[in-house]
Amino acid sequence: MAIITISRGSSSMGKAVAEKVAERLNYAIISREVILDASHQFNIPEIKLEKAIHDAPGILERYRHSSHSYIAYFRAALTGRMAEDNIVYHGLAGHLLLKGMPNLLKVRINADMERRIQIVMARDGLSAPEAHARILADDKERRKWTKNLYGEDPWDSSLYDLTIRIDRLSVDNATDFICQAAEAEGFRSTDKSRQKAKDLALACRIKAELADEFPNTGVTCEYGNVLIYIKGKEQASGKLTKKLNAIRESTSGIHHLETHAGTAIPPDAV
Amino acid sequence: MSIIIVSSDVREIEEMIAQKVADAMGYQRLDRGILPGVAEKYQIDPGKLCESLENTPSLFKNLSSRQWRHYLSCMEAETLDRLLADNIVCWGLSAHLYVTGVSHAMKIRVLSASSQGLMEIAEQKKISLQKAEKLRADALAHRKKWSLAAWNTDETDLSRFDLVINLDQIDPGEAVNTIISAAAYRKFQVMTYSQKCLSDLALAAKVNAALLKSMADVKVQARDGSVIVLTKSLSPRKRKKIAAIKELAGNVEGVSYVEVHVKKNILGEAA
Repeated sequence: MAIITISRGSSSMGKAVAEKVAERLNYAIISREVILDASHQFNIPEIKLEKAIHDAPGILERYRHSSHSYIAYFRAALTGRMAEDNIVYHGLAGHLLLKGMPNLLKVRINADMERRIQIVMARDGLSAPEAHARILADDKERRKWTKNLYGEDPWDSSLYDLTIRIDRLSVDNATDFICQAAEAEGFRSTDKSRQKAKDLALACRIKAELADEFPNTGVTCEYGNVLIYIKGKEQASGKLTKKLNAIRESTSGIHHLETHAGTAIPPDAV
Repeated sequence: MSIIIVSSDVREIEEMIAQKVADAMGYQRLDRGILPGVAEKYQIDPGKLCESLENTPSLFKNLSSRQWRHYLSCMEAETLDRLLADNIVCWGLSAHLYVTGVSHAMKIRVLSASSQGLMEIAEQKKISLQKAEKLRADALAHRKKWSLAAWNTDETDLSRFDLVINLDQIDPGEAVNTIISAAAYRKFQVMTYSQKCLSDLALAAKVNAALLKSMADVKVQARDGSVIVLTKSLSPRKRKKIAAIKELAGNVEGVSYVEVHVKKNILGEAA
């Protein structure tokens, strides 16, 4: 049926809601296992990936593109999982990493600070000021991360289909809302949406292969026809041609692969 | 048994969703239809009352800051008074900005389908999509400025709402169903305490409207008929101002006790 992403601030009960939704709809639930997938597929230590997707890039990293590469690996692993329907994903920036995915229900859970403090105090045995400071620091880091990489504010509710303030509702109430919304016509999967999901997964896979050596590229894919947009000098590079040939051989699902140099990278490219 | 406050970034959508919810639930409607009655009750200009709901005070529009605050306070007092009746769907009166701390008031924000809405604006006004996007951004910035000036609350801060529904992929009919099922939840049902909070808000708003007719710079809190008024005054006029406030507030129905706290108007005294 649908793919549901649940985004939340830390200690906002998003995990509990995601588990209930998955249980009620009989969907698979994924979160941090995507890190393991990415780590295996791209041979990157888990700890480095985890740091890259949690912490905002530092000044040097912004120039080294390493964070962008790690995000590309993570995104490839995530979209690879999403090629199947009926999934609930609760993790960082699902709504942004899965941008372009059809039948995607984007949910945001907000909780008021008092309730979040109580949760952290009970869970981690901290005092109220310590819990407050930890939540603020975590929120700041997430905000910085999303803004740096996507130019979006994760607290901007217009990015989501449904935003629920959990402190006035129960986990069950929020689950009801989400399950009801998931039944909406706009989130039902069709042959077209499944194809689009496959294409996005393939584009993300190729982008991940290129990200480290060729960061200034954009990839689109339609029915297995892949277009690679290149900025700058890389257009004439024999190294790139070699890399693309290797990708063509090692990646299944590519019907045709074409490069476009010197043209602007379209907004829907990954 | 609840109050549903609907707001949207597009007036037509707000009205359409609110009316559908009211029809489906058999609730009363509360919208800008009350404004002529408010103007008559408080003896204010109906045109300027409508204007004050849209714009901040302006010399060009012959609307002073004091008048503007008074007009908004009249509208607020009347809206809160009518909300006491319960089982109401309210829209168009910015109630989401001043109905605070009332647990049975459910605040809903409905966001227009961004791409479709932009195309409609571009078609209607015969402009490009980029210009339509800029127009919409300007309109949002205008609402933000207005709401911050009026109630010191950012209307575009969506974390204030209990539920935000984006119509990009969700059909309006489905949004209405979601709102209706949410209204049935226990947490949005009237309780003695939440009704008392609303009564206190309504009384404070009535006193505020009565005071703002003849003075500026007042803040009013109410609890069980007792009213506390915070104001500023120059030292020589302090006693006179306290007496005036006590008289005006004491005449409001439901007020049993008035306490006035005056802060020194340091800037005024320096001048």
